[in-house]
Amino acid sequence: MDIVVCIKWVPNTTSVNIDQKTGTLIRSGVPSVINPHDLHALEIALTLKDRFGGSVTAITMAPPSAKLGLEHAIGMGCDRAILLTDMVYAGADTLATSYTLAKTISKLKFDLILVGQETVDSSTAHIGAQVASWLHIPYLYYVVDVNYLGDGKIWAKRLLEDAYEEYELTLPALLAAAMHSTHPRRVKLSYKLRCKSEQIIEVWSNKTLGLEANCVGLKGSPTIVRKTSFVPEVPRKKIVCKPKDVEQAAEWLIKRLIEERLLKI
Amino acid sequence: MSICSEWDKIDPREYRGIWAYLEVEDGVLGEGGLQMLGVARNLASQKDTYVGGVLIGKGVSSLAREAIYYGADKVFIADDEKFEEYYAALYAEALASLAKEHKPEVILVSGTMRGREFTPYVANTLRTGITADCTSFEVDPAVKDVLGVRPTFGAYLIAHIRTLNRRPAIFTARPNVFPTPERNPAREGEIIHTQPKVADGYGVKLVNKKRFSRGTVPIEKAKILVSGGKGLGSRDGFTILQEFAKVIGGEISGSRKAVDAGWITHDKQVGQTGKTVRSDLYFAVGISGAVQHLYGIREARCVVAINKDPDAPIFDNCDYGLIGDYTEVIPALIKAVKKLQARKTE
Ligand SMILES: Cc1cc2nc3c(=O)[nH]c(=O)nc-3n(C[C@H](O)[C@H](O)[C@H](O)COP(=O)(O)OP(=O)(O)OC[C@H]3O[C@@H](n4cnc5c(N)ncnc54)[C@H](O)[C@@H]3O)c2cc1C
Ligand SMILES: Nc1ncnc2c1ncn2[C@@H]1O[C@H](COP(=O)(O)O)[C@@H](O)[C@H]1O
Repeated sequence: MDIVVCIKWVPNTTSVNIDQKTGTLIRSGVPSVINPHDLHALEIALTLKDRFGGSVTAITMAPPSAKLGLEHAIGMGCDRAILLTDMVYAGADTLATSYTLAKTISKLKFDLILVGQETVDSSTAHIGAQVASWLHIPYLYYVVDVNYLGDGKIWAKRLLEDAYEEYELTLPALLAAAMHSTHPRRVKLSYKLRCKSEQIIEVWSNKTLGLEANCVGLKGSPTIVRKTSFVPEVPRKKIVCKPKDVEQAAEWLIKRLIEERLLKI
Repeated sequence: MSICSEWDKIDPREYRGIWAYLEVEDGVLGEGGLQMLGVARNLASQKDTYVGGVLIGKGVSSLAREAIYYGADKVFIADDEKFEEYYAALYAEALASLAKEHKPEVILVSGTMRGREFTPYVANTLRTGITADCTSFEVDPAVKDVLGVRPTFGAYLIAHIRTLNRRPAIFTARPNVFPTPERNPAREGEIIHTQPKVADGYGVKLVNKKRFSRGTVPIEKAKILVSGGKGLGSRDGFTILQEFAKVIGGEISGSRKAVDAGWITHDKQVGQTGKTVRSDLYFAVGISGAVQHLYGIREARCVVAINKDPDAPIFDNCDYGLIGDYTEVIPALIKAVKKLQARKTE
């Protein structure tokens, strides 16, 4: 099976800080990582390759620095990686991003596409459905397990709030890997070294893809950010104490909560 | 202005009405869709237009009246055999087909698991903009467009997003952030039976389904939550929290680190990548109060923090805070409740 995995190189939002003096976001110096949810997509793809053969290609649309993310993917065992990078792709919303990814994928030989459930920086969870829509192929979200049935079909299991569901999908298809669905494998140095010796990471610009400028980047994006702001604080009482006598404090608190009708005993 | 040749030309001025997609869960209208009717009503009155409800499924016609009672002026129904099973692309094309025909200005979909799965496909089919996971909506005073307000960049910022020149503008909204509107059986409205255009098959078939019960009240419905974080130190910490939850009639939940550690399941995670809760009382125990966590407890009425670090950010975001080790504070709270209970029964 030939599999394409879409990955995104994202700022590690856990290490973002707010400048307490100016109240602004400190973005500079924030290191980037592969979107953690995409590691599950890679793991599912590589497991399928281990079991059934074929190839895994990682693709990302991003500025050139995202090459590091693709090196990570190669290090995990991907055969090939493609970086889509061009000034005309900048400022894309999910419609334009999915269009560019879909047009790229349709130039490749593929049976299955895997994406992460969502990204940690924008967390829209749009791209999977939208790529499937451009390509007119079946798709399924929240996938925890996949098996190849032969005969151009796969079986996939997904976890909803209160149910497991099992599906059969006709290939080519797209699956979005659920969060927490696998234990992603580590990078192997010997795999990663291939990035140095071979031309394993391809860089495609819009010269390669030849997409209409009106369909990509900012121009191909129907949504715009009108403004951004900080999350407004919720007014809270902030009655905080460090009690000498814990039991007394506990009793005081419980009584108070009962008085406020938040607790009934 | 030239547009992408893959997009059809539209006249945004022809689009009117605020639609809410109504997901049917076990034969009744899901809470999420009702919440969207509430949002739609509010936006429609600001824009002086109608509220539409959309019902797709088999045998769903009987729910049309309910949709009207909860705020719909018009209910668009696609009631057909072929919608017996939900498949993302099938439902998406049905909704897109209705939107093409009836031209609403806005479509709102609750971001349930299914809602988040099929709505982006609707937007693509219509070549329009979609904004995910909105936590509020506003009508832009200058341009009069509906803007979706959503957390971004790991919930450090919120973005106000507008769909420019394309219609309908599509939004998914975070479940449980918006209240369910009141049911008013005196309300009247119009019921419109439709036949959306969809393909015969979508290359996907449900072959097995196993329902399971988690055996507890879902955290988004709980009145009292006792939530634990990394500070519990181990899974055993949750045993103490469970005991406390039991004596006060609450449920347990947790932070992402508690989920990542495997101490509690993902359906009980509170926060940006977990759930928004609306409990009356929320105990944050051994939780530092990261922005992504705080995002999930904005709707809680009263937050009580228990943490041994006096500088933990949770103390700036709580109503009551006890600085101390939870292994002492929680047993003291249990004892206090039991003491008051005993006094009451005397
Ligand atoms: C994109 C993104 C999305 C995220 N989504 C979520 C989300 O949905 N939900 C979420 O919760 N997090 C989320 N996070 C993670 C978040 O940033 C924090 O890492 C997480 O909330 C921290 O969990 P915690 O408070 O349990 O652990 P910590 O931050 O490690 O805090 C543990 C606390 O326990 C206290 N403590 C230790 N021992 C004791 C004791 N004996 N008694 C009392 N107190 C004690 C410590 O003082 C400390 O304050 C997200 C992060 C990102 C980047
Ligand atoms: N720029 C991108 N390049 C490649 N894949 C992407 C990109 N953005 C998102 N994806 C994929 O789509 C998934 C969902 O992302 P999102 O819709 O942005 O939350 C991610 O987990 C990735 O697998």
